[in-house]
Amino acid sequence: MYSALEKMNTRILKTFFIWTLLIVTIAGSFKISDINIKTLFEGLSNSIAFIKEMLPPDFSRFKKILLLSLETISIGFWGTVLGIVFSFPIGFLSAKNVSTNPIVYSISKAVVNFLRAVPDIMYAILFVTSLGMGSLAGILALTLSTVGLLGKFYAEAIESIDSKPMEAIAATGSHGLGIIRHAILPQVFPLFMGYNLYLLDHNIRAAMALGLVGAGGLGVELFTQMRSFNYQKASAVLTIIFLIITAIDRLSANLRKDIIEGTIFSKGKKVKNSIFIILVSAISIISLFHISVSFKDLLAGIPKILSFLKGLFPPDLSNTSEYLKLMIETVAMGISGTFLAIIISIPIGALSTRNLLHNVYIHNLMREVSNFFRAMPELMLALIFVTAVGLGPFAGVLAIAIHTAGFLSKFYAEAIENIDERPIEAVMAVGARFTQVMRHAVFPQVMPLFNSYNLFLLDRNIRVSTVMGIVGAGGIGFELVMSMKIFEYQKTSTLIMIVLFTIGLVDWLSLYLRKRCV
Amino acid sequence: MVRCENVMKQYNGKMVLNDVNMYVRKGEVIALIGPSGSGKTTLLRTLNGFAVPDSGNVFINGEKINYKDKESLRQLRKKIGMIYQLFNLVERTSAIVNVMAGALGRLDKGIHLIYSTIGLFNKKERTKAMELLKFVGIEDKAFERVDRLSGGQKQRVAIARALMQDPELILADEPIANLDPKTSERILELLLRINQEKNITLICVLHHLDMVKDYFNRVVALKDGSICFDGNIGTFSQREASEIYGFEKESKCIAL
Repeated sequence: MYSALEKMNTRILKTFFIWTLLIVTIAGSFKISDINIKTLFEGLSNSIAFIKEMLPPDFSRFKKILLLSLETISIGFWGTVLGIVFSFPIGFLSAKNVSTNPIVYSISKAVVNFLRAVPDIMYAILFVTSLGMGSLAGILALTLSTVGLLGKFYAEAIESIDSKPMEAIAATGSHGLGIIRHAILPQVFPLFMGYNLYLLDHNIRAAMALGLVGAGGLGVELFTQMRSFNYQKASAVLTIIFLIITAIDRLSANLRKDIIEGTIFSKGKKVKNSIFIILVSAISIISLFHISVSFKDLLAGIPKILSFLKGLFPPDLSNTSEYLKLMIETVAMGISGTFLAIIISIPIGALSTRNLLHNVYIHNLMREVSNFFRAMPELMLALIFVTAVGLGPFAGVLAIAIHTAGFLSKFYAEAIENIDERPIEAVMAVGARFTQVMRHAVFPQVMPLFNSYNLFLLDRNIRVSTVMGIVGAGGIGFELVMSMKIFEYQKTSTLIMIVLFTIGLVDWLSLYLRKRCV
Repeated sequence: MVRCENVMKQYNGKMVLNDVNMYVRKGEVIALIGPSGSGKTTLLRTLNGFAVPDSGNVFINGEKINYKDKESLRQLRKKIGMIYQLFNLVERTSAIVNVMAGALGRLDKGIHLIYSTIGLFNKKERTKAMELLKFVGIEDKAFERVDRLSGGQKQRVAIARALMQDPELILADEPIANLDPKTSERILELLLRINQEKNITLICVLHHLDMVKDYFNRVVALKDGSICFDGNIGTFSQREASEIYGFEKESKCIAL
């Protein structure tokens, strides 16, 4: 016991060692992704100059934009619907407590994990090159990424159910489907509905970004206008995108809350919620007739997809060292972006809390800033920053930093608002100074949460930075797209392997560290 | 040790402390009783400056508390240990780290301030924290995270934290309200043992009348913000108890 006492200070010194390591890593990442005080200030002034060029928005193509918005919403909707259809069986097969055959269980779990590891924009590129530009590519891309997410959510929901009703139904001599229908579904249905809605929200947002590579909807229009230097027209598209995302975000958050609380069709909410669901479905069904989806295209595309898959083998390893360098740049972008986001988020998060700050106006303003940052998909921000500050990793880092700050500042604010004030009073009561109170009563409460959020977003951002290259914002993504566009699929497979390996490694590391955090 | 003179405090138009006069000698033990909302906690908090009286004076060791001067309040608090109903520990850290927080008031200057702000404590403080945990009987839980401890163990950690201050006075605000009867007895016994062995004055807010009878000599009872009984437990009869707690319909404060 007393030897453990001796080690207490060594443990704190170890923490210092970790901090030093962290600072070196961050400094290195900044250097690789070309970030320093000078470039940051230049980037800021360039961005402001660019925003001036974008104003005022030119709504002369309003009708076209409106039609494209409908198309985007329906891409998100149909991607979600198809995703749900496939996720349902795969979710049951990859749930440990329901799936009876261990081989089927492992295979379906591996499929879900693989589908989740590949960024949705990569599916979009694959389908655009094999099926041609248009909504179909977007819908199929979203279907695959939805199965990756929903399959996991469904399986986890099923794994968490109470097993007693299952035994009870099985005891009546029921067959498997009967058990699913009468013992499992009633328990997981509200959860499933919540996840579905979350995915719908997520997919409509993602559909906007998929357009940037030609997979239909508003993204295509934005990309075209940006590339032909019509910045005012582009900002009109951006405005609409922002409005749609904000509206859907709030509506779906409300709806999800109602589903979880079981009040979705209660008095007073029935009309509102029904209207929302009917509206989205109606838009999607009507627009199905407008978007060019035909079975002929789909059938014609299948051989192309197969030839792509065949073309992946054997991998061409000749450029591996160059690719690895790009992968390091990609990881550095993720680290730099996350670190910048942390720096931006601390003041925004602190100012948007109710217990630190009693000024309602500042706190509401800061919440809106954080919502605004969060609303824009990274790839769109990257496209804007590429135009404002030029091609290269710097644009990608800025995009990641802004989008991440939207999440982090919200998380930070929540952590600070949940602080237990009782230990603070207790430490004040021993006569500690302000800095001591912060260190011994406040930090131990929020730091584990902060670290966990930071790690979670770092993990996510390294994943995101692999696709930044698609719009020219640095990293390995550019090579990835190019290799697919010029049909050098053997290089594509090398790149995909490197990306998946890195993502897997980062994933594992972040999970391990996060478990130690909280 | 502690002297309150004509202490008055209003909160939202309600009299919380109404002309409270109280004198506590060094080394004495006092049970502060009264129904909820009678001002017990507020009185306790005026003694270490977390509640500020509207008028009247409080003297600790003959020195008048200056509620406006934050630095002198901080100096005052160094000498006073506080124990809470809900323990007020940092749940995510270990018991011993919580105990060492008690030394922060002492480590408030120069290099000690820097070290303690970083989170480093010297060997003397660490050994002392360990010995205190041994004194309160949970040295085997020293490196356990507080959120894994039971209520009684948590309160022991909190008591060790208060002792780490080397206090002259311990204020306990319903220290056993969240504990089961057996644990409650043990915690009270521990507090009284501290009083006897270390000669630390103890003021303890309590709800349990039976416990008060078993363990305390002097009782101060509050009702609606004024002291309505102050004396030996022997003279504190059932009738007075029921009047203070309002068991009878018409209850009046008894004149002393």
